[in-house]
Amino acid sequence: MASGMDKTQLAAVLQLLKKYNLKETEELLKKEANIEDGAPLQSDSEVSSVLTGYKSDGDPASYEASYIELKRFVESSLDIYKHELGTILYPVLVHMYLELVYNGHTEKAIDLMKKFGPEQDTYYQDDLKKLSMVTRRDHMNVNELADTFKSNQFIIRMSRDTLSLLKRHLNDKKASVLLNIVQEHLYFDMYEGVARNKGQIDATSGAVGGEAKRQDNKTKVYYGIPKAQDFQTLSAAPVEDEEEQGDQDNPDKPKKKKAKKDPAFSKKTKSDPNAPPNDRIPVPDLRDNDKHEKVKALREVSKRVALGPESLPSVCCYTLLNANYSVTCAEITEDSSMLAVGFNDSIVKVFTLVPQKLRAMKSVDQLQDVNIEAEDVLARMMDDRSGESSRSLYGHAGPVYSVSFSPDKTLLLSCSEDTTIRLWSIQIWTCLVVYKGHMFPVWDVKFSPLGYYFATASYDRTARLWATDHYSPLRLFAGHFSDVDCIQFHPNSNYIATGSSDRRVCLWDCTTGNHVRLMTGHKSPVQVLAFSVCGRFLASAGTDCKVLVWDLSHGHLVAELTGHEKTIHCLTFSRCGNLLVSGGLDCFLKVWDFTKLTEEASSEEVNVSHNPDVKSGDGYLLRTFATKSSPLISLHFTRRNLLIAVAMFDGVST
Amino acid sequence: MLNFKPKQYLITLNKLQYFTPARNRWKVIAESIGIPNLQDEAAKELADDISYRLKHIIQDAAKFMNHAKRVKLMQSDVDSALKCKNIENRPFRFASGGGRELHFIEEKEVDLNDLLQNLNPKAPLEAALRSHWLVIDGVQPTIPENPPPVAKNVQKLESVDPINKKPISETSGKPTTGKQKLKNVETVQIKQLATHELSVEQQLYYKEITEACVGSDETRRTEALQSLACDPGLHEMLPRMCTFIIEGVRVNVVQNNLALLIYLMRMVKALLDNQSLYLEKYLHELIPAVTTCIVSKQLCMRPELDNHWALRDFASRLMAQICKNFNTSTNNIQTRITRMFTNALQQNDKVPFPSLYGALQGLSELGPEVVRILILPHIKYIGSKIETHLEGNLQSNIDKIASSLIKQLLVKVLAPVLKSLRNPPDNLDEYRQEYGYLGAALHVAVAKARAQPAAVAPAATTCSATGNIATMGTAIARTVATPSAILQQQSSAPGRTIVMNPGSRVPQAQGNQKFVFVQQRAQTSSGQVQTLQQQQQIVKSTRAAKSGANAAETGRGFQPRFRPGAKRHDRQPAAGFRRAKTELHDTAEQPEGTPQCGRFVASSLEVFSQGEEGIYIFPTNLCNLDFHTPCEVTVKWVEAIQTKLPMCIGGAIFGAERLKPKHRKLYTEKYLPWAIKTGKNMDFLLNIYFEKRWEQNVQELCQEINMVPLKLEE
Repeated sequence: MASGMDKTQLAAVLQLLKKYNLKETEELLKKEANIEDGAPLQSDSEVSSVLTGYKSDGDPASYEASYIELKRFVESSLDIYKHELGTILYPVLVHMYLELVYNGHTEKAIDLMKKFGPEQDTYYQDDLKKLSMVTRRDHMNVNELADTFKSNQFIIRMSRDTLSLLKRHLNDKKASVLLNIVQEHLYFDMYEGVARNKGQIDATSGAVGGEAKRQDNKTKVYYGIPKAQDFQTLSAAPVEDEEEQGDQDNPDKPKKKKAKKDPAFSKKTKSDPNAPPNDRIPVPDLRDNDKHEKVKALREVSKRVALGPESLPSVCCYTLLNANYSVTCAEITEDSSMLAVGFNDSIVKVFTLVPQKLRAMKSVDQLQDVNIEAEDVLARMMDDRSGESSRSLYGHAGPVYSVSFSPDKTLLLSCSEDTTIRLWSIQIWTCLVVYKGHMFPVWDVKFSPLGYYFATASYDRTARLWATDHYSPLRLFAGHFSDVDCIQFHPNSNYIATGSSDRRVCLWDCTTGNHVRLMTGHKSPVQVLAFSVCGRFLASAGTDCKVLVWDLSHGHLVAELTGHEKTIHCLTFSRCGNLLVSGGLDCFLKVWDFTKLTEEASSEEVNVSHNPDVKSGDGYLLRTFATKSSPLISLHFTRRNLLIAVAMFDGVST
Repeated sequence: MLNFKPKQYLITLNKLQYFTPARNRWKVIAESIGIPNLQDEAAKELADDISYRLKHIIQDAAKFMNHAKRVKLMQSDVDSALKCKNIENRPFRFASGGGRELHFIEEKEVDLNDLLQNLNPKAPLEAALRSHWLVIDGVQPTIPENPPPVAKNVQKLESVDPINKKPISETSGKPTTGKQKLKNVETVQIKQLATHELSVEQQLYYKEITEACVGSDETRRTEALQSLACDPGLHEMLPRMCTFIIEGVRVNVVQNNLALLIYLMRMVKALLDNQSLYLEKYLHELIPAVTTCIVSKQLCMRPELDNHWALRDFASRLMAQICKNFNTSTNNIQTRITRMFTNALQQNDKVPFPSLYGALQGLSELGPEVVRILILPHIKYIGSKIETHLEGNLQSNIDKIASSLIKQLLVKVLAPVLKSLRNPPDNLDEYRQEYGYLGAALHVAVAKARAQPAAVAPAATTCSATGNIATMGTAIARTVATPSAILQQQSSAPGRTIVMNPGSRVPQAQGNQKFVFVQQRAQTSSGQVQTLQQQQQIVKSTRAAKSGANAAETGRGFQPRFRPGAKRHDRQPAAGFRRAKTELHDTAEQPEGTPQCGRFVASSLEVFSQGEEGIYIFPTNLCNLDFHTPCEVTVKWVEAIQTKLPMCIGGAIFGAERLKPKHRKLYTEKYLPWAIKTGKNMDFLLNIYFEKRWEQNVQELCQEINMVPLKLEE
């Protein structure tokens, strides 16, 4: 054992010498240690892990004593500092445990964990359980969590006073074990001001790597929605065309209508100071078809019902029958005309939700006969006889974990356990492209609101940004400590939010690929994300059954909405932005008053260094609706603010 | 490293949560793959390592479960997790030889027999999409697709402690200071009244459902019962439904209205079947009602003819279902019910046979154990009691039927019990000695039961117990409606009651048929005139056979306490009724020229009290008119002239429109002049208090009210 240990350390030193080009010393050492050149050299990562690793020479018996002493110090300190000081206990315990395991004192390590593990905060218990599985050094190499702790510093936010108190204590005691851990593995993010209380700390702690640094959330985020592209010119022509046809006897009417519509547009035309410039990311030009669609959408907007606490939405529920345990995901098109469902058995199925059937394009021969100049060429291209109410897409080789429609409804993306992402055409109903790049199952895929781009999240701890016409990803967002479970485009397409099993929510800039916001506060994996209509807020939810609302301007946690009893898998904002709706495996649909939330949030003084008080409680919950033992897997607001829920009937559990 | 025992891993998967490496287990596994002596040290190392890796895999598998949006870990998740770890996971068989290692999926041998007999599992159904309104403007509609608005446990809480019932709208935004103050002062918790307000829609629903349940249309009834059994939002009107049922039973038992009792019991059945209702609260009302239908002395008008036994059987099954669903250690429903039935058995001579039958049936439905403990000891006495009726011929017919049914029942339920109770050599004498009169029959039945294969015998009893009760109820209704076969045989004897059942002839009018009784005197006794008293007798005996809502309507003399039926329904089948009457006119050949031979037609007692409709029937009798359209129109004319009521005038004028040419001639020549004359001369018909005149001779009455009988044959 000891000799083996020596070898790895020696190899590491050798590597270091090589790196700094100290050839003579290297030779000398090699000779002395009897290492031949042919000896297998370890990979860089292993070497670095050794260098930062637990080369402690401390007496295993002293660990417990020094932990107890630290605990006593925390408990005996003043109340205002107590809680902030308490945050150090968990990382110290974890590192002590890992150090003991690494040095072969398994019994001691287990003993330590048994004694002090249960008294840590409840949200750390899961991780502690996972860590306590690690009982040998070679386990540590393959354990994701242990690796994370080993190779990353645990971030603790502390006020200046608290930190100086702690430092004084550490210097006084000169407890080498403790000092070592604190120096090596903890990072203190100091801030000016009053120490936080227990509630404030709890709100933002819980993530694997500790809290977010202040530095992480300093970059400016253009969270605003840019002015819509020339909507006037876009809409003017076709709208008038149509209305002239309809109301030729009444020439005044079109003008009147236009005047009436103007306020709706003008709201958007006012440029948002927080919006990114239009050319910040390159976007392909709109095609005629897209313009038509936009105009149609705009017209629907005027018929939209404004929702609020007084006018609650109607919900139409689509229940998937005979699909117990076989449905994995569902998604509805923006115009609510189609529903795509991904199955465990690798099939993607598309259902139509409108009377119009799903048609395929005509064959090549027939297409030649179509008059390209015709106005309705798009409609003529489709073969009416091929209409079906549902179609299946075969191609994946594993469960399909997510599907996403392109905004123009001609393409569909799906991602699967087989590590691929597939792009399907919903006009000819075949697979167009298979994107390979991820090495592990892909958990989530989303089309950009502008089309063309899409983003994926994977088991391999990365999120990637792709363009439909490129085989390889354009950007690779790495930084999460665990699986990236969900991904969402910001409404302005300039940013991507990811949620991960490391319980952090991250906002990435598409142009630079950097993370611009890091938000901690979830206590278990994040499963779903949703941006508010205004673009300023982000809602996230997951296995911890809580919906957290973040303010992207500073990355603060605004509210914590509790009430669900099982994992939340779908979140959506009403089109008017007044309501937030969440649904989960507990068969409940909860409607939250988002307007009230944002109003109260914006009225408060926001300080960059300090988290405002987190709002919680039932005050924002407007209504709870139950389905009949059908877990909810997708939610969608139609353009007119009718809520569509997709649920799968679970006949067995009843 | 891991790929050598995947199967074992899977076996231990479910224990992994609290997995402790048991070294012995690993030794056993090692032996199973051909390593005989695993060192303790090695076993420990292996156990540690494997358990770590297993936990690791499970953790990963949980990720796949989460992303598949499930809460149940499945084998495919473990497969995926293994795949991610780059572990060859598929093969569950491993073979090596010749320096090559081979993994393969074990293929099971397929038994062709299974395939041929179609025993292989069905292919899973294809996923289908179904839409419904979960919420409309913030309100959840109470449709079967949605969960019940108030869950069962909440209903229970409400019933136990109504203070818990909170209005939904008042949950938030109320100042709490006042409340806290109250709490300090309030020492006695006042039990609030639980109110169930019904919306207009619910009231309509209630009306529709109750009408359909006891109305005449069988398809509508089926729909209504289906709705009662499935709809989730009924709890608010449950108290009213229960009141409807118990009041209905109370009234109809008094009136011996079998069909209605059956309908009401079917309602009880539907309510019992509804999963979303918390019925415990109303059992104290329902149980007596059901019990009544089991043990009541008389449930129908003619006990010797009507199949009230089926009602007793049905109600017994309901009772058994109630016991099964609601019996708890605190309410002791089953104990109380068995005690009640047993009391009936022990009351010796006082208990009439139908009640005895009901009690026995009720007990026997509760299972063989109850039969063994509570019926068996009484068997000898019951045997002797029914013997006198079955063997001797001095007793009445009713008791004889009852006795034979009791005998059948006892033999049926006791045979399986005795079969398991007694040892094979069955001695007839022993049986006689122990079970008295029934001994012989039981002996035969037990012997038969023993001869049958073991599986069949108990199945026979359970089958009857769990059979489709709903269709049973329908069958009962039918048997009530069609007793004509038996009865028409009797009609050959002069001086007997002829009962015509138009239902059998007019099938579409099923359920509405008003039984028409024709009292026919022998021709030799033509001089005698029937009295109203006799009519009343007939009418009384008719009531039993009447189905549908009409029958529930009570006469003027009776207080109309309960009107479950929908009057509207009565009107609609009038055509059927008339047709029936016309038929009667055609079939029951009436000797010509015997005007004094009264032909009395009474629809039901209600006809005398129901104004318009009743009046015309009575005068028709009185006027010695036949029941076909011209005669009815004629009577309408009389009424129209006397009462000047628009509906009578309308009936008179428009009724005439429907006449056939042959009748029209007769009508204009004979009936109309007579009607006008009579209408003018006769005393005011509505003033005649018919109930006071039951005893009176018809001719006398005619003279008294200045009515000249119409003579057609001249």
